[in-house]
Amino acid sequence: MSSGLGDEVDKKLIVVLRDGRKFIGIMRTFDQFANIVLQDTIERIYVGDCYSDKNLGLFFIRGDNVVILGEIDPDKEVQEKKLKKVSWEEITKAAALEKIKKEEEEQLKRRVMTESGLTIDSILNIDDF
Amino acid sequence: MDKREEGSVEEPLDLIRLSLDERIFVKMRQDRELRGKLHAYDQHLNMILSDVEETIKVVEKDEETDEEIIRNIKRNIKMLFVRGDGVILISPPLRTS
Amino acid sequence: MLFFSFYKSLVGKEITVELKNDLSITGLLQSVDQFLNIKLKDIKVNEEDKYPYMISVKNCFIRGSVVRYVHLPAEDVDVETLQDHSRLEAREQKKQNKQHQEQKSSTATTATTSTTV
Repeated sequence: MSSGLGDEVDKKLIVVLRDGRKFIGIMRTFDQFANIVLQDTIERIYVGDCYSDKNLGLFFIRGDNVVILGEIDPDKEVQEKKLKKVSWEEITKAAALEKIKKEEEEQLKRRVMTESGLTIDSILNIDDF
Repeated sequence: MDKREEGSVEEPLDLIRLSLDERIFVKMRQDRELRGKLHAYDQHLNMILSDVEETIKVVEKDEETDEEIIRNIKRNIKMLFVRGDGVILISPPLRTS
Repeated sequence: MLFFSFYKSLVGKEITVELKNDLSITGLLQSVDQFLNIKLKDIKVNEEDKYPYMISVKNCFIRGSVVRYVHLPAEDVDVETLQDHSRLEAREQKKQNKQHQEQKSSTATTATTSTTV
């Protein structure tokens, strides 16, 4: 397969999942479904200009859930230092608030669109992905 | 190849085949619509369209009346690949008008 | 196969991949596979400040199933060839479906005869 992940083995990757979560770790192995094994994994949450990490260890990630695998470039990683590191408690609180706000906006949109009869997404009840 | 078979619609995808090189309307998930000229498709309804106009419907609050209004955002794209799993319906060009 | 071959012809060209979560990434097409998973290099993210997690990424693998659109370089797309290939593939697909159905109905009849025996 021409688009295999062979070049990324033993490299530090950020994995973005369909639910929006981000994991960073060293990819040790993969298969044709984009199932991957990540070593020394951390979960990172970003809210605005802030972020926080949590150590999680060894992970197997099922390919279905993957949106993007990004190779972390050491030169570009420096730029990320401009973000402010905060505590895990702080970031999870901020993330929860952000989620509520997004859900409210989404609900408002669905209500207005459904009332106007312009959408069928709400009837189909489908995910974003 | 039988000429009649080439031009008739026996199964749904035949309608798409007959729309090749014509402008079509595509309704997509997430309240998006596309109008563009069809150049390629496959059985998943992956497509390539050219001179595309995309319309996205968004809900906004009117600053003065505080009422929610639906606004259309439009953009133009020269050449676009569309992934089939986002497609809800395809309509061939109107032959009249 | 049509789109797989098409993307292979675009390797090395600049494309913009728009995902279903609105993230939009421009980069050079490095490779593609039969699921239309895409690898891009030297990427640039539109509205970068909305996606801080992409700041440190230079090359990436995008799962085909999360793609909404791909913006293509119009000058590198031969629409005549695409249309011909679409017609050809439609014809092939029909032939295969027919064969498949005939096979199914013939196995069904053998199955019923064997049960009656």
